[in-house]
Amino acid sequence: MARELGAVNWRGLWTLYAKEVRRFLNVSTQTILAPVVTSLLFLAIFTLALGRTIPSLGSVSFAEFLAPGLIMMAILQNSFANTSSSLVISKIQGNIVDLLMPPLSPSELTLGLASGGLSRGLIVGLSVGLGMWVFIPIGLYDPVFVVFHAVNASLMLALLGMVGGIWAEKFDHIAAVTNFVITPMSFLSGTFYSIERLPGNWQLIALLNPFFYLIDGFRYGFIGHADGSLWVGALVVLTVNAGLWTLVHRMISTGYHLKP
Amino acid sequence: MEPNPSLAPRSFGRLNGRGVWTLIYRDLRRYWKYGVESIGGPIVSSLLFLAVFVLALGGQGEAGGGLTFVQFVAPGIVMFALMHSGFFNGAAPLVHDKHEGMIQDVLSAPLNAFEVAAGYGLSATLNALVTGVAVLAAMTPFVDLPFGQPLVALLFAVAGAALFGLTGVLIGLWADKWDHYSAAESFLILPLGVLSGAFFPLDSLPALARTLILFNPAFHVIDGVRYGLTGYAAWSPAASLAVLLIADLALAWLVWRLIAIGYKIKP
Repeated sequence: MARELGAVNWRGLWTLYAKEVRRFLNVSTQTILAPVVTSLLFLAIFTLALGRTIPSLGSVSFAEFLAPGLIMMAILQNSFANTSSSLVISKIQGNIVDLLMPPLSPSELTLGLASGGLSRGLIVGLSVGLGMWVFIPIGLYDPVFVVFHAVNASLMLALLGMVGGIWAEKFDHIAAVTNFVITPMSFLSGTFYSIERLPGNWQLIALLNPFFYLIDGFRYGFIGHADGSLWVGALVVLTVNAGLWTLVHRMISTGYHLKP
Repeated sequence: MEPNPSLAPRSFGRLNGRGVWTLIYRDLRRYWKYGVESIGGPIVSSLLFLAVFVLALGGQGEAGGGLTFVQFVAPGIVMFALMHSGFFNGAAPLVHDKHEGMIQDVLSAPLNAFEVAAGYGLSATLNALVTGVAVLAAMTPFVDLPFGQPLVALLFAVAGAALFGLTGVLIGLWADKWDHYSAAESFLILPLGVLSGAFFPLDSLPALARTLILFNPAFHVIDGVRYGLTGYAAWSPAASLAVLLIADLALAWLVWRLIAIGYKIKP
């Protein structure tokens, strides 16, 4: 007799999530420590190179302005890397069938994989934040915004990583998406500067970049200053995530680039 | 009976030139095969760095020596890309060959340790130079560089490409898996490349750090290339060149000896 799983296969979902988390904890030197070191290096060069020339924003020093942006950038890159690499490796090595065969629905697969990426983003973000806190003062202005944007950023990039991972046939494709889409979007999103410093057209382009709202809202949670509208930002972020979730769900249920 | 000359062992002379060239050529082709990532990737990320400095931070400020900040930082960005490419192109072929077992093809070919070292080292150097030139070419429309002494810049670029290419080969020999490669990249190459004066002038550092940075070979590479391109050097270019040549020779010797004893490549 077939086993009865109920409305949600909780055990299956948990197993998938645990696998995704163990995957990156197993190589935590690369997946957690390396982003901490990289972010600290960025903090060092930008404060050394530009700390003198950049006027501080009110009572906030350049380093305090920069730190939330760098934490967010680490979150973005790592949540994307987690889900995309997991899917591409599974596809190349053929063990993707181990995901498709078990009694897991497309919703459960989406939730399980995305939560793995979400956890990586949050753990990396917290570690980078703690690493920076050793060197510079990091104050909290509104923790609600910090948590809201950290969670949504991790989720957005975890979902984007799934779109990329499902679409990609090999590692080169993911490297190309990272190099030519994710890195440019995260660099040009106000990580390193206030977009008020940008010339007119570039400011407009920045406002069309969803990553801008993630960084802007996240930074507001630390320093209490935002370049854009916080409510527009929250709305954009939630809409993008809902859209991406639907897309990923659709890709998995139709078996796009997953099933023969 | 006369021995059949076609069955006699082939004689290669002092250096198996064709063998070395074949080894180099194989890795040049590998590089081109992934041209979008090997050249396009560094160009995009370098231009992004430049964009962040120029667009947003008003990079027209002074950086010492009469240079604007952008003129100062552009050679640093180019050399950062070149050195990273040297490391990648030195290490990745070896890690890959070891991982896939193809290293046997290289070891059983009539190449001695010196020739194998030369093959891996020179291909990494050449690939790094191609990356560096491509990034520099992509950057020139946006930055006004005087190109005062292009040959001096090239000399330093070659020394830097060899330095990081050989370091890559060394890491490639040592690494048992890709995790080791990534660890070396994150914890050795990135810190050396970033804390090298590529992105900030020396006088923004505290005194102790200004002394310590002289022990970072990447500093000498960048300072020398910047001298060739802009005429401004923070330290003596001749002394920097001497440091680099000594480091290059020492690394080349080490790589050669490690291959000769079969360190992590022979059972």
